Amino acid sequence: MNALPDRYQASDEVILRGPGDGRTLAQRLSKRYASRITGAFVVPGREGSFAPLPEDLPPALANALRERGIGQLYSHQHEAWVATQAGAHVAVVTPTASGKSLCYTLPVIAAAMQHNAKALYLFPTKALAQDQVAELLELNQAGNLGVKAFTFDGDTPGDARQAIRLHGDVVVSNPDMLHQAILPHHTKWAQFFENLRYVVIDEIHTYRGVFGSHVANVIRRLQRVCAFYGVTPQFILCSATIGNPQEHAEALIESPVIAITRSGAPTGDKHVLLWNPPVINPDLGLRASARSQTNRIARLAIKSGMKTLVFAQSRSMVEVLTKYLKDVFDHDPRKPPRIRAYRGGYLPKERRAAEREMRAGNVDGIVSTSALELGVDIGSLDVVVLNGYPGSVAATWQRFGRAGRRQQSALGVLVASSDPLDQYLVRHPEFFQGASPEHARIAPDQPLILLDHIRCAAFELPFRGDEVFGNEAATPWLEILGEEGVLHREGDRWEWIADSYPANAVSLRSVADGNFVVVDRTGGKQTIIAEVDFSAAAVTLYEGAIHMIQSVPFQVERLDWEGRKAYVTRTHVDYYTDAIDYTRLKVLDCFDSSSAGRGHAHHGEVHVVRRVAGYKKIRYYSHENIGYGPVNLPDQELHTTAVWWQLTQRVLDAEFDDRQQALDGFLGAACAIHIVATVAVMAESRDLQKSVGSGDGAWFVSADISGRGQLRGADGQPTSLAADAPFTPTVYLYDAFPGGVGLSAPLFERREDLIARSQSLIERCDCRGGCPACVGPVLAADEDAHASPKAAALRVLALLAAL
Amino acid sequence: MSPDVRRLLQRHAQLRHGPPVRASSDRDVSGVELSPGLRYIEILADWLAPPPLIETAFARWPEPVATRRLLHFDTETTGLAGGTGTRAFMIGAADWLADGRLRLRQLTTTSMAAESAMLRTFAQWIEPDTVLVSYNGKCYDAPLLRTRYRLARLADPLAGLGHLDLLHPVRRHWKGCWENCRLATAERQLLGVVREDDLPGSEAPAAWLSYLRGGSAKDLRRVAEHNAQDLKSLAGVLLYMSALGDIPGASGPRR
Repeated sequence: MNALPDRYQASDEVILRGPGDGRTLAQRLSKRYASRITGAFVVPGREGSFAPLPEDLPPALANALRERGIGQLYSHQHEAWVATQAGAHVAVVTPTASGKSLCYTLPVIAAAMQHNAKALYLFPTKALAQDQVAELLELNQAGNLGVKAFTFDGDTPGDARQAIRLHGDVVVSNPDMLHQAILPHHTKWAQFFENLRYVVIDEIHTYRGVFGSHVANVIRRLQRVCAFYGVTPQFILCSATIGNPQEHAEALIESPVIAITRSGAPTGDKHVLLWNPPVINPDLGLRASARSQTNRIARLAIKSGMKTLVFAQSRSMVEVLTKYLKDVFDHDPRKPPRIRAYRGGYLPKERRAAEREMRAGNVDGIVSTSALELGVDIGSLDVVVLNGYPGSVAATWQRFGRAGRRQQSALGVLVASSDPLDQYLVRHPEFFQGASPEHARIAPDQPLILLDHIRCAAFELPFRGDEVFGNEAATPWLEILGEEGVLHREGDRWEWIADSYPANAVSLRSVADGNFVVVDRTGGKQTIIAEVDFSAAAVTLYEGAIHMIQSVPFQVERLDWEGRKAYVTRTHVDYYTDAIDYTRLKVLDCFDSSSAGRGHAHHGEVHVVRRVAGYKKIRYYSHENIGYGPVNLPDQELHTTAVWWQLTQRVLDAEFDDRQQALDGFLGAACAIHIVATVAVMAESRDLQKSVGSGDGAWFVSADISGRGQLRGADGQPTSLAADAPFTPTVYLYDAFPGGVGLSAPLFERREDLIARSQSLIERCDCRGGCPACVGPVLAADEDAHASPKAAALRVLALLAAL
Repeated sequence: MSPDVRRLLQRHAQLRHGPPVRASSDRDVSGVELSPGLRYIEILADWLAPPPLIETAFARWPEPVATRRLLHFDTETTGLAGGTGTRAFMIGAADWLADGRLRLRQLTTTSMAAESAMLRTFAQWIEPDTVLVSYNGKCYDAPLLRTRYRLARLADPLAGLGHLDLLHPVRRHWKGCWENCRLATAERQLLGVVREDDLPGSEAPAAWLSYLRGGSAKDLRRVAEHNAQDLKSLAGVLLYMSALGDIPGASGPRR
């Protein structure tokens, strides 16, 4: 480890005078860095609201609660008890650390004690499941209640499974296990299902988009299997704050629920700062990096004795920030580390150890990905710093929710990156402050997802007659599966006939299956040190990539794409790597068209090819680009739906000096439309992607290093057009999931509004010739008012705007 | 479903492009029809001579078992994938008659709907004191049938019965001596049985599926022959094992 002297000592002391709490640190930062803070507000704390333990609680359970120091309930826990006892499905939506789990623990344990009723818990991650079982066992032990709770996940040994199926009162698992191991073997669980009374699904806000659409179908299959065993279990769902908890819960289980949304748990004040890094080059709109600012804020917070959690957007950023903080706080190897990284991709054992250290209060600074957004119990924190906008208002509050103790004020700082969405938000604090959290959306009837789950459902129980699955008559899907040869029709029954296990081929969390393992070959040994999702592999495990684990850099030497393995060795370089990827589209089918100003807007099906072309090497601290490397990986292809805008060649020739100018305009317009569209449909920004290319797929445009449109041919190489070649540049917004998850249709409906908003976004931007917050980064030389990318983008949008 | 959606789905469906099943005029499945889609074959075989009591020390059972209580059974299934989607399309069972002959009884379904009738018929062959004999049946055939009975909403007739699974004793005794411990190897080594024109068990699923889709019944008849030989070998291997007495290294009593 580099033992750097603390070069910030002097400047930090100006700010730090004595220990503080969230309020004092917010004040000190506001005073010292006033120009960087674009918004500051306080979410006031709340007194607790309590209710006595319910009369109808089994006495032994009430005693166990008192034994554990719980003499009364928060009001929301009491409401949940009353609603479940009335037989309703319930959705509990209260902030992090408000005692949500008691809302389901009480009815579940009471039913197990009184009626031998069984309960199934589903958590999105194994870690949360283990926390929950530990808590249940403690309560059980405190009251000697005799309720048996087990986790059932991929780590459960084979010989324990039979006992869990037969004797588990509470089985704690995850949607993936339900999908791949429980439902396809439901007959082994017959006793469990026959007595199933409650299904508890926690963290339902994570079940949105593609994942949520899959989970909704797993729940349909669960209900189908329950019906076979003659039971209709009651659902208890829990969520962090989202805009539409009741609607989302009802969409997941397709039944009415009672929503409980008022938390009775007391909280301290929460101070929130929106922080924009200082401008380095005002003409270009270039700002200091978010990571430098995040690092500074975290450093100050830790130095003032506050437990601090930093959220980074990517695994590699976690490692970079961990290294920066360790350079300040952990330069003495004889002392236990004060800074820890936490993210997916570490082995479970390592994560459990990190969680224990955090709970015990031995760690002063944690740097994490969204992995800690969920309810993993890591104890109380004082400060949360977000390195970049997490992509939604809801996720921002969930992350801020990690900070806060009952009596003390907490601080949350959102540090904007140069990402346009970040800049948009941080410059419009009123949007953030006033915005209600996003709505969680799912599209359970997405045809490909439905096909996957009707396939799995047919394996579990035959389909009969005109059975309906979800909202759709299953027959057309069954016919396709019949053509595929996996189902056999006999009379009005469709039965599984293939020698295959369909759930294994359906991953709930990603499109293409198969995690990559990272194998360390340093010193001739072979050790698996990490796992990487298929979707992240192409941009993090290419040969030459620096892959960091707990901020120790490893270099990828060989990537075995088919075998899903990356071989790495320990390295000591002073740079990290960043992939360069680009996208090309081709229209397959147009569902709908309309005029858009002097051009046209379309909605239809497209073929998308993504390629990682190479990578940049970026030096630590200075962040200068010190070289490139090539990447040679298979293209990732996708059929999906898109909405796109085009102008005819005649209009373009008349309105633009040359084709380059028109391309720049399209590139800039695409950037603005993408920002506006992401906010408009509340998509995760990775679920909605943009591209600019020729209407016939012959070429596409990417921004070159100066921010200008560079034409590339189908092979990805830079190219140029003959003067007489056809020229129909096109802006595409596409749904980044095969077949689409329903984002493009609403965008097509709102096409006029999107163009108008994009115009206003660019017009209202403070930059002169264009900047990352509106049309993308531009060079200083491009400020000429007439030909600037900003002006060109506005001209394209004006031509597309309603007449 | 719109044509667009159908096209999208068809593009993503995992369509297999194997040779299509040719409609065949050879649709003759062996046996008599007990009910629509359910065929029954019965063979009385002169095969070895069992003693009235079978020694079970090789399996570490405390007492011998009366030969008349034995029911040797073996299923032919649609595959090895496991779970609720795998079914038995044929159940064969063998028991010793009082006259010392081995009675082979086989049930074959020629339609999906006949499964329930097959399961009921097989259940009638089982008495409360029946002792099952199988080769890997504890891990494979019995759980599979348990699943099928559960799906058909019928009581599981195998529940609580004694079950001599010969795979494990054979493994304990000959693992490392033979190239493998499959039944075909055991019957050759212990009984000198050599099969001719045997349809490998792995081809059984395709034989049934092809018949179901209108193809030839020829391979399905060969599956029945294969199954019959399995039953005879099962009975033979049991007699051989029981004559061995206690096997050193055998672990605890199994019932």
